[in-house]
Amino acid sequence: MPEPDQSTLARRKDIIAAMRDIVPNEGGVIVDEDRLRPYECDGLMAYRQLPMIVVLPENTGQVAAILKYCHTHKIRVVPRGAGTGLSGGALPMADAITISMMKFNRVLDIDWDNRAVVVQPGVTNLGITRAVEHKGFYYAPDPSSQIACSIGGNIAENSGGVHSLKYGLTTNNVLGVEMVTIEGEILRIGGKGLDQSGYDLLGVITGSEGLLGIVTEVTVRILRKPETARALLLGFNSSEEGGNCVARIIADGIIPGGLEMMDAPAIKATEGFVHAGYPLDVEALLLVELDGPKVEVDYLIERVGAIARECGAVYSRISESEDERLLFWSGRKNAFPAIGRISPDYICMDGTIPRRRLAEVLTGMQVLSQRHGLRVANVFHAGDGNLHPLIMFDANQPGELERAEAFGADILKLCVEVGGVLSGEHGIGVEKRDLMPEMFTEDDMKHQERLKLAFDEDELLNPGKVFPTLHGCGELKTLHAREVASKFPDIPRF
Amino acid sequence: MTEVISPATPEQLREAISWALGSKTPLEIIGSGSKISYGHAVAASHVLDLSKLTGVLFYEPEELVMSVRAGTSLAEIHGILRDKNQQFHFEPGNFPGLLADGVADHAGTIGGLIACNISGPRRIKVGAARDHLLGFEAISGRAEDFKSGGRVMKNVTGFDLSKLMAGSFGTLSVMHTITMKVMPCDEKTRTVLIACDDMQIAGSAMTRALGSENEVSAAAWIAREQVVKLGLDIVTGIGTGIVALRVEGPAPSVAWRCEALRKLLADIGASEELHSANSNAFWQAVADVVPFAGGIGLLWRVSGPPASGGAIAAKLADETGGKIMMDWAGAQIWLQLAGGDAMADKVRDIAVSYDARAVLVRAPEDIRNQVPVFHAEDAALARINARIRENFDPEGILNPGRIGHMIAKRGNA
Repeated sequence: MPEPDQSTLARRKDIIAAMRDIVPNEGGVIVDEDRLRPYECDGLMAYRQLPMIVVLPENTGQVAAILKYCHTHKIRVVPRGAGTGLSGGALPMADAITISMMKFNRVLDIDWDNRAVVVQPGVTNLGITRAVEHKGFYYAPDPSSQIACSIGGNIAENSGGVHSLKYGLTTNNVLGVEMVTIEGEILRIGGKGLDQSGYDLLGVITGSEGLLGIVTEVTVRILRKPETARALLLGFNSSEEGGNCVARIIADGIIPGGLEMMDAPAIKATEGFVHAGYPLDVEALLLVELDGPKVEVDYLIERVGAIARECGAVYSRISESEDERLLFWSGRKNAFPAIGRISPDYICMDGTIPRRRLAEVLTGMQVLSQRHGLRVANVFHAGDGNLHPLIMFDANQPGELERAEAFGADILKLCVEVGGVLSGEHGIGVEKRDLMPEMFTEDDMKHQERLKLAFDEDELLNPGKVFPTLHGCGELKTLHAREVASKFPDIPRF
Repeated sequence: MTEVISPATPEQLREAISWALGSKTPLEIIGSGSKISYGHAVAASHVLDLSKLTGVLFYEPEELVMSVRAGTSLAEIHGILRDKNQQFHFEPGNFPGLLADGVADHAGTIGGLIACNISGPRRIKVGAARDHLLGFEAISGRAEDFKSGGRVMKNVTGFDLSKLMAGSFGTLSVMHTITMKVMPCDEKTRTVLIACDDMQIAGSAMTRALGSENEVSAAAWIAREQVVKLGLDIVTGIGTGIVALRVEGPAPSVAWRCEALRKLLADIGASEELHSANSNAFWQAVADVVPFAGGIGLLWRVSGPPASGGAIAAKLADETGGKIMMDWAGAQIWLQLAGGDAMADKVRDIAVSYDARAVLVRAPEDIRNQVPVFHAEDAALARINARIRENFDPEGILNPGRIGHMIAKRGNA
């Protein structure tokens, strides 16, 4: 992380006074160490740092005033939602103001005709569905933490979930935002329509991990809840067979509402925890959910069952009731705490690979598991190739955390090697920041940073995240114009 | 005299841009030229022609991914996808008939498609072209190679520059390699047609249909006099304007949902159904904006909240006397004006009053020189847009002027 700026720390009292002027509300500015402690990390608890101060604004005007002050006085800012992120995107800095958006917690408008809901960014993901489900609607992206994570954080991380194969990620379901820049300007991007003017700023803000601005209002699209949903459990003797089955289902033109896979260690851990009735004698378990009108679901269940038989499924069970469907899911949804029961600590990694390389990557992970001397269990979004290896370790054993991190880095390098990426849905944050050169060249990174500079020239917003090293503004702006000696003699001209 | 530079490899492309940067020579970037009149005229002495930068780098149907060079023709790509019963889910239209006289009917390249972010009727269900761009490789206005994204569906590794490039009209970089998500064709397609001449009633019918459980994948309204131009006898035979609602998926589901839609909207008017090939032909014609093809008249595209579509359309028709077609369940309105007056202030004022945006998609060059083609953003957004442009193309050598007033506040341009 960047070194704390001593001149900022020396001005802490003045900064606190200024923040109290801007946010006079009770509890709006937190300065005591005890009350700062809950903010010292997000869901990535391996990294902790007390913030300089925490501010909890309650309206857009206050956010704009805070950011304007920070811009004028060159003070760093770390935006924070519910703090459930898993890559350290909201890790505080010793010399930065953490801005918590959790007082922005109201649903502002439900527009049934436009199938759009306007909310403040602190509303939880599930809170949006709760607001509209009485009329049969829901918000599709469903990260596992949906009961707690905020929609503002979902935008920062472009969150996904089990529905994303069929219904898309956050970026495909957000229609518009109100956002405040570091200069304190309030932007409105997009709205209830499907277009915006100018460059697609909505697209780049989504997944920008709080480096471009602070979102103060969100418009999302909602969907009608499918009439029926049923799930199949399919067991295979190898992950390769399971992977082939996934490819066959999709090649057959079937896009399930959910398509998840677990390997043997994950199956055993979850079955021991929730007793979902999972088979314990298979190497790979697929969980396939089909949703839509009953007539469609019944038809597709038959087809998926037939494909599974052709792919060598040795176990097949279809949910016959809503309770049974939820029971099937309870194992998958509790996979993380289940691993927590059999290991003192674990790290959840997050990389995406081309689906057909699945067996190869799982085999590679076993080799790495032996090399690093740590166990790994796998649960993943099989439909879109998004892996979540859970690396088990004991933080009380000297060196195990470091070994677990090295193991995780090797897994992600393997993902990139086979044509995948470093993160499917958790973001880069501080966790994977130093791995970015595995995927990107220096020029690739510079172009990302140039986008950053267009929003935040002084690099005050969430520094130390995403980029392993930030180039200086001057360096990025230097133009290396190359006059070629001859006018490209090899290129056809007319 | 305009000089045309035609690189055939990414290296040659970089060399050309490097020369242009060094000599501060503006370049007009074209593929097949099918959308050359979309946007403002570019003031450039040199044309950078990408039509030789072609070829499929990989296509993996089971992975639903295809990577191609930017100059590859859409006709070739659609053919390859069809062979595997796959498609671009956002079903882009072919615009030569709409925009470019003298260009072959099915001209158009993947680079031009992404640069203009063109999406067809299924936009309402599956997103725009930009949602299907997984990654790209490009040369920026700094003559530097860079890439973003990748080839997998789920990716939050760094900023999503793919979104930035889609719809940037070639003003930030020149993409040479484009990796797209593709999708299987649905087992069945049917279209429910409901007789309806009134555009406000049509708008509310589409709103009702989209709010139902029937997963409508396209919804349009075609006026009586435009229906004839679609060239489909079964549609013309209805004899009125029509609300068209498409349902796709497994056969039993499609039949069930069509029936449900006909019941839901029985109060609007008599209904009819298009099956399979007729359904496909109908929606291709809507994507291609066939009723307004042929280069006659000025053409606006107004985009706003879908439920306001009927009201916006009615007001536009009333106040301009133009012809209307509604797509995207009312979120996209095509307005053709018969005369030579773009009526820009009137169209834009109506659009803005409904929180919509208006783009002048087709007009003679002299009118495009006088009227801002794109909808202007407010000052703060315009500043960010301008900074992005400056950071990616500091000398302004890529398609200068193409997006014109888009990055400046209206009235201050």
